[in-house]
Amino acid sequence: MKKLINDSNKVVSEMLQGMAIANPNIVYYKDFEVIARKNKTEKVGIVSGGGSGHEPAHGGYVGKGMLDAAVAGNVFASPSPDRIIKGIQEAHMGKGVLLVIKNYSGDVMNFEMAKELAEMEGIAIKSVIVKDDVAVPDSTYSTGRRGIAGTIFVHKIAGAKAEEDATLEEVSRVAQKTIDNTRSMGMSMSSCILPGVGKPGFVLKENEIEIGMGIHGEPGIERTNVKKAREIVDILCHKILKDMDYTNSEVAVIINGLGGTPAMELYIITKEIDEILKTKNITPYKYFVGNFMTSLEMAGCSISLLKLDSELKQLLDAPCNTIGLKIGD
Amino acid sequence: MKININSKDYMEYLNKAAVVIRNHKDYITRLDAETGDGDHWVNMNMGFNKLLEQKELLEGMSLSDMFKKIAMTLMSTIGGSSGVLYGSAYLKASKVVIGENIITAPLLIDILTAKLEGIMERGNAKPGFKTMIDTLHRALEYMTEAFHSNASDEEILLAMKKGATYGMNETAQMKAVKGRACYQLDKGIGKLDPGAVTMYYQLEALAEYIIEQNKSNV
Repeated sequence: MKKLINDSNKVVSEMLQGMAIANPNIVYYKDFEVIARKNKTEKVGIVSGGGSGHEPAHGGYVGKGMLDAAVAGNVFASPSPDRIIKGIQEAHMGKGVLLVIKNYSGDVMNFEMAKELAEMEGIAIKSVIVKDDVAVPDSTYSTGRRGIAGTIFVHKIAGAKAEEDATLEEVSRVAQKTIDNTRSMGMSMSSCILPGVGKPGFVLKENEIEIGMGIHGEPGIERTNVKKAREIVDILCHKILKDMDYTNSEVAVIINGLGGTPAMELYIITKEIDEILKTKNITPYKYFVGNFMTSLEMAGCSISLLKLDSELKQLLDAPCNTIGLKIGD
Repeated sequence: MKININSKDYMEYLNKAAVVIRNHKDYITRLDAETGDGDHWVNMNMGFNKLLEQKELLEGMSLSDMFKKIAMTLMSTIGGSSGVLYGSAYLKASKVVIGENIITAPLLIDILTAKLEGIMERGNAKPGFKTMIDTLHRALEYMTEAFHSNASDEEILLAMKKGATYGMNETAQMKAVKGRACYQLDKGIGKLDPGAVTMYYQLEALAEYIIEQNKSNV
């Protein structure tokens, strides 16, 4: 294992310390592994979080126009309720708190437990669960679809709504609307190594890729041989567009790198998506290209599409200022 | 013999359970690596060690306060899914022992029932999902049946252990519905669920501790 770290037991806390140094507008709460905004205003608080290893998610999205607090667990493991409660307390400014949870068993249980405990302290809380990954069938019985890079749209839009001084109900409504209109799918070309484990959890051969792999290396739909960017985009888009009808609408697009993919390749993917969308009578409104929700050093990408209406468009365009995403006035 | 457990005895039992868990590092890690992400043993071991560090404080508490403190400790130390599930189990159990100082056979059944309910509610899961629930569910089923057929306390404990063994082994043939194993193509079929196994260790240690304790008192 070759990594730029000091101690595998301290990667989360040292990373968050660094993040707080890089962004003077946020503060790091040691032991709770919480990143929160320094300058608080009276509005609905937005809290997200989950396992570490997906940076800049989620601490990198704390700031004006997005999250008020982010709670980090260990690498790829949910934070415990006591940490999440700290995040809720830091985000609570008297108007209630919205929790944005990615759909994994551990995250859902820990955030819901924290929600119940914080409600007992008299804080009004609502939660939404992001499940955008079409690689996994949706199900009310099982854990169902995973939450991946489409979560960034939810942070952005809920955050913008909260800045407008909306009520908790209103913020929760647009967050859910964003989830309902977002679909994503990813692929991977290499594994990643958890610092505490020291060796890869799975191995992809030199000429092998996996379609639909999750952001923790969970199995996807199929293992196949390396293909041209155009073919990969075709496969991913096909699955997304089969799941939701985007025809004749405007969409926002995230082309997300998983940590080990060069920007050059992400831009090639962007060009291919643009061509596909246009042939399907879908109008790309805005592109976000970069590493938004990573899986340590995994190579690969995911594509997320958000179907826009005038309300979502306006909230998407509103200013925000975080490490992971900046949109000017 | 009689089931007759106070807070101090309960901590002795947890000590015994912690040793069993500690001794199965490689087995549990290997089971978990096959279907999950391989950290179940590390986290469980950390949680139980943390409980033992607080042994003196915990054994001086009432059963209810002790269970509550165990819940919070396991929740924050084990972390992930198991932490919050054991936390929910002990929180729920803390409510059925309010005002009680001694665990007898019927109270033990109430405690384990509360734990099972706590885990099922929090996990939104049922028996048959290939989880720790399967072990606990069968253990309770067997011991409750023994209790209602006027079995002795020792027979009740042996029935609990037998049910736990059966429930744990049943998970090998089940398909995972929750957690990371459910993303595997084979849903973990043919493999024991590591959470069901560590739950078994705890129930086995409980039965053996109480039976041995009685023998040494004679």
